[in-house]
Amino acid sequence: MRKWLVPALVVAVVAALVLWRLSSGTQGPTVVVYVSHDQVFSEPILKDFENETGIKVRAVYDTEETKSTGVMNRLIAEKDNPQADVYWANEPVRAEVLRQQGIAAPYVSQNAEGISATFKDPNGYWTGFAARARVLIVNKKAAAKPDSVLAYTDPQWRGRAVMANPLFGTTTTEIAALFVLWGDERGQAFMKALKANGVKLSASNGDSADLVARGEFDFGLVDTDDVVSRVRQQQPVELEYPDQGADGIGCLLVPNAVVLIAGARHPDTARKLIDYLLSKQVEAKLARSDAAQIPLHPGVEGPPDLRPIDKLKTMQVDYAEIAAKLQAIQPFLKRWVESGS
Amino acid sequence: MSAVEFHAVAKVYRAKRVIDALSFTIEAGERVVLFGPSGCGKSTVLMLIAGLVAPDAGEIRLAGKVVSTAGRIHAAPQSRGVGMVFQDLALWPHMSVAENIRFGLRARRVAASECRRRIDDIANLVGLGDYLHVRPGELSGGEQQRVALARALVLKPQLLLMDEPLSNLDAALGRRLRAEILRLHAELGFTLVYVTHGGEEAREIGTRTIELGESRAL
Amino acid sequence: MTERLVLVAATLLLAAIGLLPVAAMLKETLIADGRFSLDAYRALFASSDHLVLLMRHSLELALLTASLSTLIGVPLGVVLGKTDLPWRGALTLVLAAPLAIPSYVLAVAWLPIVGRTGLLGGVLPAAWSREIGSAFFGLFGCTFVLTSAFMPIAMLLTIAFLRSVNPALENAGSLVSGWPGVLAHITLPLVAPAIAFAAVLIFLLSLGEIGLPMYLRFPVYPVETLTQFAAFYDQRAATVAAAPLLLVTLAVLGLQTRLHRRVLQLGRRTPRGEAVQITLGAWRMPLFVLVLAFAAVVVALPLGALAAQSLSVETYGLALARAGDSIVRSLVFAATGASLLAVLGFFLGYLAERRTLFLWWTNEWIALLLVALPGSVIGIGLISLWNTKATSLIYASPAILILGYLAQYAILPMRVVAASLHAVPYALEQAAWLSGAGWIATLRWIVAPLASRGLVAAWLIGFVFALRDVAISIVVYPPGADTLPVRILTLMANGAPSLIAALCIILIAVTLLPLAVAGLWLKFGAARP
Repeated sequence: MRKWLVPALVVAVVAALVLWRLSSGTQGPTVVVYVSHDQVFSEPILKDFENETGIKVRAVYDTEETKSTGVMNRLIAEKDNPQADVYWANEPVRAEVLRQQGIAAPYVSQNAEGISATFKDPNGYWTGFAARARVLIVNKKAAAKPDSVLAYTDPQWRGRAVMANPLFGTTTTEIAALFVLWGDERGQAFMKALKANGVKLSASNGDSADLVARGEFDFGLVDTDDVVSRVRQQQPVELEYPDQGADGIGCLLVPNAVVLIAGARHPDTARKLIDYLLSKQVEAKLARSDAAQIPLHPGVEGPPDLRPIDKLKTMQVDYAEIAAKLQAIQPFLKRWVESGS
Repeated sequence: MSAVEFHAVAKVYRAKRVIDALSFTIEAGERVVLFGPSGCGKSTVLMLIAGLVAPDAGEIRLAGKVVSTAGRIHAAPQSRGVGMVFQDLALWPHMSVAENIRFGLRARRVAASECRRRIDDIANLVGLGDYLHVRPGELSGGEQQRVALARALVLKPQLLLMDEPLSNLDAALGRRLRAEILRLHAELGFTLVYVTHGGEEAREIGTRTIELGESRAL
Repeated sequence: MTERLVLVAATLLLAAIGLLPVAAMLKETLIADGRFSLDAYRALFASSDHLVLLMRHSLELALLTASLSTLIGVPLGVVLGKTDLPWRGALTLVLAAPLAIPSYVLAVAWLPIVGRTGLLGGVLPAAWSREIGSAFFGLFGCTFVLTSAFMPIAMLLTIAFLRSVNPALENAGSLVSGWPGVLAHITLPLVAPAIAFAAVLIFLLSLGEIGLPMYLRFPVYPVETLTQFAAFYDQRAATVAAAPLLLVTLAVLGLQTRLHRRVLQLGRRTPRGEAVQITLGAWRMPLFVLVLAFAAVVVALPLGALAAQSLSVETYGLALARAGDSIVRSLVFAATGASLLAVLGFFLGYLAERRTLFLWWTNEWIALLLVALPGSVIGIGLISLWNTKATSLIYASPAILILGYLAQYAILPMRVVAASLHAVPYALEQAAWLSGAGWIATLRWIVAPLASRGLVAAWLIGFVFALRDVAISIVVYPPGADTLPVRILTLMANGAPSLIAALCIILIAVTLLPLAVAGLWLKFGAARP
């Protein structure tokens, strides 16, 4: 045994060093991007950027919110010595938090022209692109089909509805948006009624979608990409746009948001990446992909599975206001989640 | 100059005074038997001479040099010129007989050719010539005993310590091995400190007996 | 002198790698607005009612999992490690497979079987499958999945430590009793410290589980830390929330140390003699069928569900295309981590077993505390400590991952080595010193070869845990250098189930391969003390 033990250890150490060198080497232009948008959708875009520009992309991807502490915490922990150059957020509230913590730097890209001011920070700390909508995923075999978020409080679906944990991700964003639209009192009443009607909580939008597809529940509130990817995988589900009636509040649009990190080590390549992500070309790609993201640039063709933005009734909200409201109601939401257990 | 000197040596294990105020002298070339009932500290004395443990009081000298004092070991075991045959022999089971014997020579950087010569010599001396490439686990008790002897003697120690080396052997084999030990002593001239609790064995091996009962050395 | 220096250095290294990051996090919890403050702890206690409930759930889950894993794993270990059951090696590998994948993924694999429209739904009466389906989402499901994942720990440790029992003791017992009596009164009591260690380890790992209970909707204590991180981005509160976990760990540690002290000194093996094997006789086939059935239900079903989902060459081609680089990285990082863990574990284990330094017991406490901490806390602590301009070379490289592995998993190789050194008589080292060898030479030529099985086991256990690690890896991996389990989790968000399933199968294969190689080596090649 002793004859090959030492050589084997040496080989292992050398291999490790080689790989270390390979993975941390920075030959040529580089950009480091932290990505909260699903890797299955974002990675191909970043690979295209690499191929088109020759700039090496080193990415850190995120998991669904409840599976790890997330990329946001890494950005916050690294604040004093940032490793990231760009942050690709999957919704603007996180971008707002970074702005509040002094981790974002302002940058107004030329490619942001044409994107409505609703989807941008006025000082350029973040810019929205390629949105998804908050919609209902419905099992095809469900006896009745919901058409509003208020279905969660409708007794005919008692115990048959699932929602992702409202402390995390786009579900929190939606709840905060409802509080902004309805006011705190009605918002809290809605949450109370949810609980009374036996809503079940899942770990994430993806888990909600899977549970509905499996028939464990009739419907759930998720993002459009959660529904589209499962429809394309031929799972027995369909998409319902909630609250589209004349009196309806509309569905919430959640854009991706791109942020330049303050103190970025590669600011030039970072700006190039931001410009790329905000281009019409990328929005078109994201629209065609399973992400089925709705372009915010006018004139860019949207996903074939979804209604175009001009045919969709959307919530009229201000994202900065949602971000502020979200932080205000989080303690209430935590108590709400805890009281259910 | 005496080979071994103990001056008021004491050793405490788990709050028990195993040895208390022990003083004796052993001259070079002597065959001394440490004799006494179980638990009286015989093995402890050997460990103290070898420098494997430090005394709690007193002083130990080897060849006139202070090697251990209370709580301190001044000379490391490997520098004391001491060979030892342990009670359970402590043969390295993953090494062959030759490798067991060679280990000490390599540790002292003896040249390979010299190693080979000395191993052959000592193997012939103790009668192990046919077993050099065998592992200790495949040998009988008597043969293992001789490997332990050879391993200790190949380093030409001034002082050989033996801790009840024959306790697991039958009477006939024990007698044969005792005769061999006496023969080796006559040939090589080392000082022998031998631990036993057998009276007959003590009389046969030793030129002098140190009886440990009340740990004084009578 | 050398011994003292090296062992002190090993102790300091463990403290530096493991405790410093944690100390950095703890320091932050005691400072608010630049001054000392206990506000964060007060806030924690203010919500204590709910937290007590969460902690109760965690303790229930941990106790049930540890008990069941030990109750099942130890007899399995005896049957697979000490009898003439056919296909022992293959069955051991199969039963060990669930340890390789993150427990959350294992739960996802079970859902097509126990869910409302799953396999059981087609086979059992509707009412039964409904009951099983609902029970799965809760304590029952969490316990079931975690037991299948962690039972291999008890099983493998039992197999490893059965070899350290002096066969003479068992032979003496066989003269007066049948094998059940010998096992119950001689063999198992001698390996009791190892079994206790396995139980404690499983308990602590279960206590820190978060992904699986959240998926199965069973609220547990570590949710509090995760919520503070992932919802509130409050790292201070997240660290404070981990404090009660540390208290529970300390209590468990105290209990376990008492058990460990009662180790019989008779457990050493003599130079002659192999481990005694039990001949099963008429029980051979029935036991074989029983173990096979168990493996089929607990392992083959969920892994088969995974394999069925990924059953095409294209899927595996796509999996390799999307994750091939992370597979290679995982292997290299885990192998490097395991090697360094084995070296560090060797010295720490030597110290734990020989107790040649005054504060030998501190390492055990430090190492057990570290394995009990949520990996996310260690990860953020590593960032706080190492993410500086001066230490960029380490932080921005895979070295930071290796540091994380060393911090969290040091206890594993340490205990395995300590146990295997127990079977190497100290007199063998003393004989080497008298022959002129220094301490290092004695370790190299005498101790390490005789403890080689233990060293290999230590390497393997370090490899498995480093490879399957997610909590630390996901927080600190250098950009562009993710590992396979991290890649699986990040691709799970809207990734095709077939792709995820294929990646899980690859992860299992990659984890079990060294186990298989080591199994062959242990059978044919190792030095025997």
